[in-house]
Amino acid sequence: MKTINYVLTGLGGQGILFLTKVLATTALTKGFNILGAETHGMAQRGGSVVSHLRVGDARSSLIRAGEADFLLSMDEAEAYRYLPYLKKGAKLFANAPSNAFPNEKVAAFLDKNQIEPFAMEASKIAMDLGSPRSTNLAMIAFYAAFDSGPLSADDLRATVDSMSPGAFKTTNLKIFDACYDTGRKMAIK
Amino acid sequence: MKEEFLLGNGAMAIGLLEAGCQIMTSYPGTPSSEILPEVVRFSKANELNTAIEWSVNEKVAFDNAFAAAISGKRAACCMKMVGLNVAADSFMSAAYIGNIGGLVIISCDDPGPHSSQTEQDSRLMARLGKVPVMDPGSPEEAREMIKAAFELSEQFQVPVLVRPAIRVCHARQNIKYDKLESNLTKADFKKEPTRWASTPKFRFLQHKALNEKHIKISEKFDTFAPFNMSTRKKGQSYPFGIVTGGVPSAVIQDMFDDLGRDDIPVLKLGAPYPFPEKLAEGFMDACDKVLVIEETDTVIEYMLRDRHKTLGRLSGHVPMEGELIPEKIEGLINNALTDCGLTPLSTSDCGAEAMELIGGLELPMRRPTLCPGCPHRASFYSIRKAMPKAIFPSDIGCYTLGSNLGVVDTVLDMGAGITMASGFYNAYIQDDVHKPIVATMGDSTFFHSGTTALINAVYNDSRFVLVILDNHITAMTGMQPAITQGVRVDGRKGNAISLETIVKGCGIEYLKVIDPFDTKNMIQTIKDAAEYANDPDGGIAVIISRHPCVIGFKDEAIPEKIEVCVSDDCDDCGFCHMRFECPAMVRNKETEKTEINKVLCAECGVCIQICPRDAVEKA
Repeated sequence: MKTINYVLTGLGGQGILFLTKVLATTALTKGFNILGAETHGMAQRGGSVVSHLRVGDARSSLIRAGEADFLLSMDEAEAYRYLPYLKKGAKLFANAPSNAFPNEKVAAFLDKNQIEPFAMEASKIAMDLGSPRSTNLAMIAFYAAFDSGPLSADDLRATVDSMSPGAFKTTNLKIFDACYDTGRKMAIK
Repeated sequence: MKEEFLLGNGAMAIGLLEAGCQIMTSYPGTPSSEILPEVVRFSKANELNTAIEWSVNEKVAFDNAFAAAISGKRAACCMKMVGLNVAADSFMSAAYIGNIGGLVIISCDDPGPHSSQTEQDSRLMARLGKVPVMDPGSPEEAREMIKAAFELSEQFQVPVLVRPAIRVCHARQNIKYDKLESNLTKADFKKEPTRWASTPKFRFLQHKALNEKHIKISEKFDTFAPFNMSTRKKGQSYPFGIVTGGVPSAVIQDMFDDLGRDDIPVLKLGAPYPFPEKLAEGFMDACDKVLVIEETDTVIEYMLRDRHKTLGRLSGHVPMEGELIPEKIEGLINNALTDCGLTPLSTSDCGAEAMELIGGLELPMRRPTLCPGCPHRASFYSIRKAMPKAIFPSDIGCYTLGSNLGVVDTVLDMGAGITMASGFYNAYIQDDVHKPIVATMGDSTFFHSGTTALINAVYNDSRFVLVILDNHITAMTGMQPAITQGVRVDGRKGNAISLETIVKGCGIEYLKVIDPFDTKNMIQTIKDAAEYANDPDGGIAVIISRHPCVIGFKDEAIPEKIEVCVSDDCDDCGFCHMRFECPAMVRNKETEKTEINKVLCAECGVCIQICPRDAVEKA
């Protein structure tokens, strides 16, 4: 199959590596080959964190600029920072207020490159539902609602279910379902 | 058969154990740090008898592995590339002397650099030490290369270096593996002083024998598929070819597949030294021009030896510094093809338009910083408060980030916090100037390279204050256990080494142990220590600033959580988020006051002590 490329970004401490793991584990259970690239060490301390995930038969872990199918960002500014990775026709998901994302300059660029932006206040929903640290899972659910790419919402939800530690399982699934519903409404429009 | 989404470092751990590696030593350093813990994990899961240790430094790790290998066992040591500098003394002799059981050194490079002080290329160290080297392009290839490296090492009785770059170490890939078995080879050291303790006369003979081995290994590398291979068709000639290895070779293979370019032949040299002369010669003969794409230096490019045909760093076609990320490779191949009058790979702008757009967005600069609640932040605050005019030599670790707080003036290498303090003292005292100096160093770094530095400084009567930042852990590289805690890599009990005993053993008479969370006490202690260092009858003063790492010891680090809020007294001076640089303290643009980010806040309460306006209080 053709390699599907995900760029996943945010700030240190927001759980980008866990987010990557959920997508990767789902891909693995579906029998896909996967390759990813992570940020560790000093680069991880509070700065901008980026993780690449390639589903398919790639050999190198880094995604080339202009080759990413999806960008999931836990932070608005970080979503902008990694725009060069997106290919024509890609989808961009950001943790940001939907009425203010993207900003004007970026909107023109996205339009020109047929990149579709989608925003949801994932951190607010996660906080309201009792687990601000689960914003990463909120973003996965938001992405899942658009049903694009090789990983289905059911499969992703099952992974969240199996990977969430006992005490967080119910809350995480509640957050997943709420964000999936929010995403569905946008997707159907 | 199991399958896991493993780090490259995990895939290498599998490779080590599949090869029957019995002895494994390491000192942590990004990007190598996870190899050893993964060896522990797989050894435990498969009930292997692998002997595994975190060594005190890389030289110690190397020597331990070397002794095992000359006893007939398969041994490996791993480190980051600057760690190989520390082990260099042993490394340079090892190939001359050789080994019996396979000896593999894994030295992880950091092109970029992302988390290192240099971009040095370990393949050059291999050349210097006359050690054969392999350069994997992916986790799976690294695993296979390690097994091949052990075979080669035993066949030729010579150590082999495997050099994975950060994009192999911190790549993740789905890796399948079977049950692993213990290698039961027994230690059997056979005395042979002319070999193992050879004098210069015998070293000459060993050198000669090593050079003869190199000719044979070079011949082996000529047909060393799949690590060394060429995609050119026999008898065909080409206007342009690419010679590559390691991570760039994987990028180029992917790119050519994506773009459907099979007209450009690629010579991949995953085992570039001893140089596969015949393989390279055939490729060079078939191509009018070749572009060399390798990380990070000019190893293959030098060894090709044809300045008329070869394009690369020396011809200005490849940048001399920085990581060769895929779009950069795409761009430089396009440029080289255009220069040769050929059709470029693509018309892609390699992200240039988007980069220009981003440049105009004024995105926040996000430099690495100490974690919220980090005890180092409190220590640095007190040091600066007590001795604002001092020189601050520091060292390698999380606390290097004290540079953001204005309390780290120099970082040279492991141990230089102390050696440079004595060096500064000497430089000033020669002019009769008593320059205040406060050096900082972490506990793990102190054991790694600080003790010899401190002994030297005491012996030569230097004067400064040394603050040892003891957080009970090696934090930056991923929370490896500290020697002071007496816990070994596999969780077994070792012998805890007392920092106080070692410091006193170095000849230090002035030693105070304090908790940095009490900043008032720490400030006074530093002032007293500085006075002692300045007293004609005094000496070097050492302060151990002891508080557990807030990430490594979540519960113990902050036993009493202090929830804080910011009062109306905040006058937006910015000290807390700009100088103290706590990530949990954020300026609200609208209210023009500081706010606490509750998600990030560790509730250490130190901000109550440091706010210049006393505007932070218990909630």
